[in-house]
Amino acid sequence: MDVKERNLLGGGENIVEMVDLDEENFAVSNSSDSDAAFDAVIGSIEDIIMEDDFQHMQQSFMEKHYLEFDDSEENKLTYTPIFNEYIELLEKQLEQQLMERIPGFNMSTFTQLLKQHKDEVSGDIFDMLLTFTDFMAFKEMFIDYRAEREGRGLDLSDGLVVRSLSSTSSKSITSRTTTKLK
Amino acid sequence: MGLLTILKKMKHKEREMRLLMLGLDNAGKTTILKKFNGEDVSTISPTLGFNIKTLEHKGLKLNIWDVGGQKSLRSYWRNYFESTDGLVWVVDSADRLRLEDCRQELSSLLQEERLSGATLLVFANKQDLPGSLNKETIREALGLDDIKTHHWCIIGCSAVTGENLLTGVDWLLDDIAARVFTAD
Repeated sequence: MDVKERNLLGGGENIVEMVDLDEENFAVSNSSDSDAAFDAVIGSIEDIIMEDDFQHMQQSFMEKHYLEFDDSEENKLTYTPIFNEYIELLEKQLEQQLMERIPGFNMSTFTQLLKQHKDEVSGDIFDMLLTFTDFMAFKEMFIDYRAEREGRGLDLSDGLVVRSLSSTSSKSITSRTTTKLK
Repeated sequence: MGLLTILKKMKHKEREMRLLMLGLDNAGKTTILKKFNGEDVSTISPTLGFNIKTLEHKGLKLNIWDVGGQKSLRSYWRNYFESTDGLVWVVDSADRLRLEDCRQELSSLLQEERLSGATLLVFANKQDLPGSLNKETIREALGLDDIKTHHWCIIGCSAVTGENLLTGVDWLLDDIAARVFTAD
């Protein structure tokens, strides 16, 4: 990324300049710098979302709250603050990661840029970001997680059943193993 | 406001509307929601949380939120105000004893900053019940004519028979569309 691009995404003092560029000279050469900077951020967002850290963060958030979620049509009032916490967590992570990856990254400058690119804001990455803000998708994610989590719980109890019967079955297992070894 | 919140606001409003349905408990909010969505309404229990339905109507995507109306739940209503295009206030027209309570709750909602841009539809529900008050009486009891801050309309309806539900929602959508889409 060259210096120009960095400036476009830099501190607040560049906001006015950037807006001028876009409004007056959008069709001229400067717009491609702005577009490149915009695309670079979008690319980074894609990377961040796909990375293990991000997924782990979602995972541990679900682990913390999944017992609150039931697979019933009516939603509990408690879902709402959890949902708001989730959005905030993702937003913080995105911003922090972008700041680490793009020198001088400034979120409010970027959101300005985003508004100017309003009509281009489409595609998989934006669909994905918007899905994060969709309450019903959020609820489903938790219900799926709980089902999966409790499915595994069943497996564990199967294991316990086998162990509790081990006094009667252990001999045959041992003998079978012994036979095999022989 | 963070990135996701801004994105969501940006993408909202493109042929999409958010309606918030409130009212005292037992007014029939969930019944209206389900009837409008073509679901069975014979066994509906009191809502302790909230329901959401997303449906297509007249080429629009409607997100309808219905939050429980029991007294202990009303302080949570505020968590659902954000981005509301239309407020549907549901009244049990046969519940004469609580009309004053109903008027006060509505009046405090209309003072909420985050609902200031919403159109108000009042459903005078349960018109099928004998002894229910007509919409003119409800209109007076709720002091609707004093409302200067919101576009409003009152419709007599029955959630059980489905009578006038569509009329009310169509009026609401037309009013919102006239405000929102011309403003853009």
